Amino acid sequence: MDGSEIISGIKTKLQDFNAISVSKNYSDEICIKVDPQVFKDTCLALHKILPSPVMMLFALDERKAMGKFVINAVFASFRRSQWVILTMDIPQENPCFDSLAKSMYSANLFEREIWEMFGIEPKGNPDLRRLYLHDEVWPQGNYPLRKDFQKMKVGNLGEYKFGRVEGEGIFEVPVGPVHAGIIGPGHFRFSVAGEPIINLEIRFGFTHRGVEKIFEGKSISDAIRFSERVSGDSSFAHSLSFAQAAEKISGISVSLRTAYLRGIFLELERMYNHANDAGGIALDVGFSFPAAYASIIKESILALNEKLTGSRYLKNINSVGRVSVDFDGSKKSILQESIGKIKQDFDELVKILNSSVSFMDRVDTAGVLKKKTAFDLGVVGLAGRASGIPTDLRKYFPGIYKEAKFKMVTQGAGDVLARLRVRIFEFEESCRLIEEFAARMPGDEKIENDPKPKEGSALGYVEGWRGPVLYWLKTDSSGLIERCKIVDPSFHNWQALSYAVLGNIIPDFPLCNKSFDLSYSGNDL
Amino acid sequence: MIKILIILLQLIFFIAVSPFISGVITKIKNNARMRKGQSVFQPYCNLVKLFSKGEVISETSSWIFKAAPFIVISSSLGAALLIPVFIFSGQTYYIGDFLALIFILALGRFFLALAALDTASAFGGMGSSREMFISSLVEPAACLVVFSVSLQFGSTNIASFSGMHPVSISSLVASFALFLVAIAETSRIPVDNQETHLELTMVHEAMVLEYSGKRLALIEMSSYIKQMIWFFLIAQIIFPIAVPCSINTAQIIPWCLWYLARIFMIAGAVALAEVSVAKMRLFRVADFLSFAFVLAIIATICAILGV
Repeated sequence: MDGSEIISGIKTKLQDFNAISVSKNYSDEICIKVDPQVFKDTCLALHKILPSPVMMLFALDERKAMGKFVINAVFASFRRSQWVILTMDIPQENPCFDSLAKSMYSANLFEREIWEMFGIEPKGNPDLRRLYLHDEVWPQGNYPLRKDFQKMKVGNLGEYKFGRVEGEGIFEVPVGPVHAGIIGPGHFRFSVAGEPIINLEIRFGFTHRGVEKIFEGKSISDAIRFSERVSGDSSFAHSLSFAQAAEKISGISVSLRTAYLRGIFLELERMYNHANDAGGIALDVGFSFPAAYASIIKESILALNEKLTGSRYLKNINSVGRVSVDFDGSKKSILQESIGKIKQDFDELVKILNSSVSFMDRVDTAGVLKKKTAFDLGVVGLAGRASGIPTDLRKYFPGIYKEAKFKMVTQGAGDVLARLRVRIFEFEESCRLIEEFAARMPGDEKIENDPKPKEGSALGYVEGWRGPVLYWLKTDSSGLIERCKIVDPSFHNWQALSYAVLGNIIPDFPLCNKSFDLSYSGNDL
Repeated sequence: MIKILIILLQLIFFIAVSPFISGVITKIKNNARMRKGQSVFQPYCNLVKLFSKGEVISETSSWIFKAAPFIVISSSLGAALLIPVFIFSGQTYYIGDFLALIFILALGRFFLALAALDTASAFGGMGSSREMFISSLVEPAACLVVFSVSLQFGSTNIASFSGMHPVSISSLVASFALFLVAIAETSRIPVDNQETHLELTMVHEAMVLEYSGKRLALIEMSSYIKQMIWFFLIAQIIFPIAVPCSINTAQIIPWCLWYLARIFMIAGAVALAEVSVAKMRLFRVADFLSFAFVLAIIATICAILGV
């Protein structure tokens, strides 16, 4: 399959559409280069015909080599199992481009990020406040992802302005960034009328570490360890996504055994997080017995992880072309035994939750995220599926999941209960998948995978437990990383939280928040 | 002179025993959750720790913030004096009025709510408004229980029902209503959650969020005492026991054991109720407390009917 179908699709929306070039470097990526004048219209056309929110939108600083900036927009064509990458060049003098945010809201945060990191102005975006570089500490005129950025320049400091809701009886409740629990830092600014929430604005960036900048110049083998540390509870999904991008660039295809092992670990990561969240939702409504029960289940999965891999949180496993875990017959039987027991325990937990009237009363109809809102915001992964948006990379880019007959879980209501149910059903599906993978996994096979440094760029993608974890990687001729753009599902989904809580009362906010359970570090980068 | 000694003895008794009840409840809860849990003496350690710590007091707060903990602890101790433990009861001996007890406790709560507003923290304000919302529903139910009890015994004097009396249907229903009231008053699930770390869901904890050190210890202490008072009242209605009029060592030990055992039975019931349900949505608390109110009405009707 080549890009002609996509091109003709675009032409139904834009009659005189002409691409500068269409290339297909990998079987699952179509790269279309267009003129800056038609970039916006092409994006909107793709958004409509695929239909897909913008999954990634990011800039590259190519001024040294080619004297220009480059902007890439990545869309997913789920039906055709293709990624469509739209590219345009931006001149280095006075760099700017037409904002997409007003017609396609899912581009909004990406544009703000491009503006603060590269100084490329999205013309027409009404909100150009910074996301990560806080005005209170980062003076104007610093663009850290530009290649020539060395050290922070001294300059005028600014102030972040929150949106204001005014009127009689409206109060502002500022919460965070330091919270009473041991969680990541984020500032939540509620506008309330009594207890009901009128508006919620979330401010991030407190754990901004410059991850993408740190990736630059690293070798692939160093960077893969680093990618495990980007978001702690998804370390396997992140390293797998990174490894896939690197493998595509070096032209390595992994053995079937490796693919199955990766599938098993990815599902184990999903399971421990889903068990944790089911317990967390119970704990946040003060239902402490099932919460304690869930923590036992989580612990037994972590203990299983350790037995299988030596790492409770599945670190130090992935490398380019292989996994560094020896998986013999005894481990297989440990796995099957433990999964059976974990499944029993989990069924018991679900029974307790389902039969509690007081618990159901709390989660039912709380924190509803409507399907339309979710689609417009580009909500992905688990939260999207709970609102009736059927996107799961495991279904549309199946690989080993095809053989295992993966069943996607969707719900329609979009409330806390729907998100809990997606977790419950996915947990059960993961148990089944792991058993299936373990049974199908072929015996030992030795494949010499010696990654040679190669120049190129590719997209890695994995459906982590929250949603798609995307890595766009570009290496130079010596194999060092030139640009690594990461999109964690939290980046798309955080803004959905501020819509889901509207009309709910303040004491229900922690419950809504927990039902999304998004990552601060995955978002802040 | 002996009277003063007895009063002192009663105060010491409440101060010494009441943290233990909280410790026992926490222990039962933890064991029910398949956990080992902290020692039953942990509340004492917490109090010692808090008393030896320094304090942070907001510069923008007024004298109310500083004075409130003392008013709160005085109100709890004052209420504790109305309970017949060592202060010997007899039909003619006037101990205190049940209604007075409810409103002495309300005084403490009023000042705590004021103090929470005083610091102008967003959480304090939320805590105060929620506490007032809940207490406006608790007090009618509590008062109605008083009426039903006083109809039975012909007086609102607590001494009137502190002797040995038969347990009627009215007392059973009244004690259940009082149990629901006590759950709300001691900020326990399903009304409030003492253990939560979620500042946005707190009620009582949100009000005392700005306190630290000695003043926080006083507030904690007064919560323990208040809890013991409510448990005592429930126990006295449903498991009545007469206070012995003379001190006889052969009688006093089993009496003491039974006296305390009933309180721990109530504590156990509270602990099990806490682990078996989820906390309610805030506005659902109105339904919960209206149920307590309806029970109190039934108790009153039963009392009028004489059953």
